[in-house]
Amino acid sequence: MELTNLETFPGKTIVRHLGLVQGSTVRSKHVGKDFMAGLKNFVGGELKGYTELLNESRNEAIARMVAQARAAGGNAVVNVRFSTSNIAAGAAEVMAYGTAVEIR
Amino acid sequence: MSYENPEVPHDVNVAPGNHLIEFLRLAAALVLLVLLAAAVLYLAGGQLARFIPFATEQRWVGDRVIGVKIERNDSDVRLNQYLQQVTDSLSLVMHLPDGMRIRVHVISMKTPNAFATLGGHIVLTRELFDLMPSENALAMVIAHEIAHVKHRDPISALGGTASLGLLLAVIGGDASSLAPQVAMLVQRGYTREAERRADLDAIAALQARYGHAGGAAAVFELLAATHADEHVGVPTLLSTHPTDAERIGILKGAARDWRAENAPLVPLGP
Amino acid sequence: MELLFQLGIISLLLLIGWSIGGATERRHFRSLVKREAQLRDILVFNERRPPQDQAFGQAALVMGSVVIGEDYFKRFAATLRSLFGGTLRMYESVMDRGRREAIVRMKAAARRQGATMVFNVRFETSSLSADAGQRSSVFSAEFIAYGTALKPR
Repeated sequence: MELTNLETFPGKTIVRHLGLVQGSTVRSKHVGKDFMAGLKNFVGGELKGYTELLNESRNEAIARMVAQARAAGGNAVVNVRFSTSNIAAGAAEVMAYGTAVEIR
Repeated sequence: MSYENPEVPHDVNVAPGNHLIEFLRLAAALVLLVLLAAAVLYLAGGQLARFIPFATEQRWVGDRVIGVKIERNDSDVRLNQYLQQVTDSLSLVMHLPDGMRIRVHVISMKTPNAFATLGGHIVLTRELFDLMPSENALAMVIAHEIAHVKHRDPISALGGTASLGLLLAVIGGDASSLAPQVAMLVQRGYTREAERRADLDAIAALQARYGHAGGAAAVFELLAATHADEHVGVPTLLSTHPTDAERIGILKGAARDWRAENAPLVPLGP
Repeated sequence: MELLFQLGIISLLLLIGWSIGGATERRHFRSLVKREAQLRDILVFNERRPPQDQAFGQAALVMGSVVIGEDYFKRFAATLRSLFGGTLRMYESVMDRGRREAIVRMKAAARRQGATMVFNVRFETSSLSADAGQRSSVFSAEFIAYGTALKPR
């Protein structure tokens, strides 16, 4: 499965446009990591626990989007977009969406 | 180039599983964790509190008897003197640390009860005294409570409860809602081990004072009978007294070991 | 006693949230499946370029939006789950419902315009809770889907 956030695949042709596909997930870290992130906030800098959390979530969201695209009969997703929204303290929704296509 | 919208599976975006089962499992895990943390804190706080010198504890408390209202009743003077005399004679054979003086009080409550509280005060209810068949049985009760003071069990229970209050405050609850429990725990919140140790110390004290440990088991036989009557409504948090049957067994065994089954008992009375 | 009373109230609210909230959610999913089937002929893409080999009449912005809130049971269960970490599946179903509802409403708007295709579809989600970010806050979110509806000539 190939992903791009371009509208086309350079060097390849899109033969079928299979419509909108999307994947999303909501995750949180355990309260210990929330606490550590809270402490880290005193000095600033990267909150590794949350970076990790959002990366895991994004990978899961992509995997779910890809599962939809595959079920639709596509072999690529073009124009991929991400969006993240805050739900509760330490929990975020990550979403990935795009258009499933068949390329050749 | 074709444009179409084949059916896509929507359920990929919701992780499978039953919400209720997950909720119940998480709730059980949380309750377990909180109880575990409470137990660890209670025991740690209790151990720490034992490091407070008895003199300091006595200075804090002074003449107050925490948790009860003592009524000075003239008719009780002779009884008080008698009880204090029994207490002093037992204190002598129990080798209390320097400066640890035990004071005994009588109160009227609806139930037979005895407890040791902060500052070396021991409280007996009249109802318990009236049930005692002999001085030996009374001495067993008093020696048991003296042993609690000697081992610093009341202040340990206070330390444990204070730590629990801390946990509650951290969780976000109202620590002051623990206050009524504090008094109860200081009086009765000892661990099984503390109770067993106090029982054994009391038997040894009886042995030293009267030459035998006869008459001690009668105390718990009496208590077992009254416990069976009353509805036990106090939830014992983290602290369970050994069952009456268990204690009667231990005491009867001790009495047998010291060949005291048929030893003469000292009559009760001021 | 007071504690037992409070626990009783919480359990009751949990039971109400679980039973009624669960029934509402199942009904919503059934309705989504039905309406999605009715609107299958409206095609949606998030590509910006409309088909080059087809002629279109008018283009119009269409959107669909919905605000969905959690129930008491979900809120409680999610709070518990976020203590331990992991996937908040009770919220995933809320998000899925919201997003699909927004798409369905957008498609319905496209049909009212007489369009057959929607291009350049975008999503937007925003939390409505006054104190979003607080563990205790009730979660509700708005879901928007919007795009350009194309009418065949």
